[in-house]
Amino acid sequence: MSRKSYWMIVTAAILCLAMAMVGCSPEEEAGVLKIGNVGPLTGGAANYGINVLRGIEVAVDEANASGELGDLTLKVYSEDTGGDWSKAANAFSKLIDVDKVDVIIGGVLSSESEAGGPIAKDAAIPTISPSSTSAGLTLDNPYLFRNCLSDEAQIEQMAEYAVNELGLGRFAILYTNNDYGVSLKDSFEAKAKELAKVVAIEGFMDGDENFKPQLTKIKQSNPDCLYIGGYYTEGAKIAQQAREMDLNVQILGADGLCNVALIEIGEEAVEGTYATSGFYPDDPTPAVQNFVTAYKEKHGEDPDMFAAQAYDAARIVINAIKTSGPSSEEIREGIAATWNFPGITGNTSIDEEGDTIKDVLILKVENGKFVRVR
Amino acid sequence: MLSPYYIQLVILVGINTIMASSLNLIIGYTGQLSIGHAAFMSIGAYASALVTVHFNFPFIASLLFGALVATLFGLLIGAPTLKLKGDYLAIATLGFCEIVRIVFLNLDITGGSVGLRGIPKKTTLLTVVVAVLITIFVLNRIINSRIGRALIAIREDETAAESMGINTTYYKVICFGVGAFFGGLGGGLFAHFFRFIQPNSFGFMCSIEHLCMVVLGGMGSMWGAFIGATAITAIPELLRFLGDFADYRMVIYGAILVIMMRVRPQGIIGQRLSADQVSIGEKLFNRWAGMGTGGKRG
Repeated sequence: MSRKSYWMIVTAAILCLAMAMVGCSPEEEAGVLKIGNVGPLTGGAANYGINVLRGIEVAVDEANASGELGDLTLKVYSEDTGGDWSKAANAFSKLIDVDKVDVIIGGVLSSESEAGGPIAKDAAIPTISPSSTSAGLTLDNPYLFRNCLSDEAQIEQMAEYAVNELGLGRFAILYTNNDYGVSLKDSFEAKAKELAKVVAIEGFMDGDENFKPQLTKIKQSNPDCLYIGGYYTEGAKIAQQAREMDLNVQILGADGLCNVALIEIGEEAVEGTYATSGFYPDDPTPAVQNFVTAYKEKHGEDPDMFAAQAYDAARIVINAIKTSGPSSEEIREGIAATWNFPGITGNTSIDEEGDTIKDVLILKVENGKFVRVR
Repeated sequence: MLSPYYIQLVILVGINTIMASSLNLIIGYTGQLSIGHAAFMSIGAYASALVTVHFNFPFIASLLFGALVATLFGLLIGAPTLKLKGDYLAIATLGFCEIVRIVFLNLDITGGSVGLRGIPKKTTLLTVVVAVLITIFVLNRIINSRIGRALIAIREDETAAESMGINTTYYKVICFGVGAFFGGLGGGLFAHFFRFIQPNSFGFMCSIEHLCMVVLGGMGSMWGAFIGATAITAIPELLRFLGDFADYRMVIYGAILVIMMRVRPQGIIGQRLSADQVSIGEKLFNRWAGMGTGGKRG
């Protein structure tokens, strides 16, 4: 290729991109309220981000169809982070600055909300995360809320249940060394020490396949219970390897385990596992069943906890618009004032720190299915 | 007037220009394949953020502190590993990068895997532009000095350079130290811009992104590092504006990289060397690839 044609292609490419940008700068549409969404739509955590977006879409479709907001139409603008928090900062800025969204539902991962929170605060755009559980996330930021229990809250309830209801007393903890796993480990360790005894704590790296070295050490400490602070992919393998090693103790976990894939991968090894969860799709109440049906109709699969919490987050925003008003500041006030909101993930209140108050569900794997025990 | 989003993009381009041009000194000018530049960035980011948060250092002082700590580690890691060549050095630097990430992941003072929050926002467009200009000026002065000529001689032929009396290890360690200094500076700016840092963003992929900037822009060219940093930072963001096609933006981004390397293996700005009609990049990659398999040195 000659030099000249090369530079022509480069110039043309730059022009095309510039035109694409100009062509897409949004015009102010009357009667449209823009909801931004930030989450991982590609990369290793894409599953969470996609389900969150789908949950929001179900809530927005429902509100637009029912006309409950009068002349106001909701429109979703979604940006991908690839699971990288520095890209999440770009996504937040783009939504606020270019798309001029009125409210953001996101980020999905805790680090995304950590990076995006200050940007939303500077721009005074209310932001509600459906799934960022890291402790203290919403402190000192009046524009950042979340609709999921912090790790501390769900773990305290799990530890109390394990000691009081299941009669367990010698805890071993096996956790993923990432923000989610460490947060679970720290909270569980603190609460379990208060109530009973922690006999072993072992960590593993994200994506590990072999847990036998850690399980061997755990077995030597003779626990009666294994708490897994991690996601279902690792959780299922840990359960299988523990059974192979005759470590037949009660397995407990957090919401990261609550996925049908846990049972598909782990099969009988995960039977009897208890896990905390934000959502139980087999709940017979009409609100839950309506959501499950609408979600299946639109997306062709069962909703998970991320989708349900995102749906509730969107419902909280819609409720805030109804009770408080459609401007960003009014939405912020509306979200902050949320009290005993009947969501599909339980009655939800927002405290003065922007954190959620709700009862955590405890599910148990029985005959290859998640069953609600509390 | 630029809106905050575009200012943010320009700031990121600036930070990445600092990262790419300092890596270019190591890779493009000295011919040492280092794929652990993110380690220096993270050391600079954490060191400067920690002194800002805990000791209230003024911004310039904390940036300098971060850069100096990164330099220290650059010299420490450079001294033993720079005796290695080509892909062996690449693996060693990669290992160093992973060690640094895992240390930050496990330390309490860095917030561990939860990350460090509450860093004050101090990086502005102006500070980044000034930092970029200083970086380019200093690197340019180094390249056009006795040190720079020694570095280029090492790239062209290490054995010949040594026989001409150049202490190759000494110069390679110097070059690593300078690269680490500016890598740390970039990290400090990064931390004080995002106000939050977490070890996972300084992993292998981050190092590879810096390498892509250098190779895509053109090895051994100051403008090349700038163009490469601009392209790698801006393309994925600009592709957000594709409307309905935005779902495929990472696919398009990958395709652009593949096509660029097919059409311009020497990089966007990279020149072919007149003597042997291959670019610096092609020459170096041929040599690095040859080393592991026992092939001939290019």
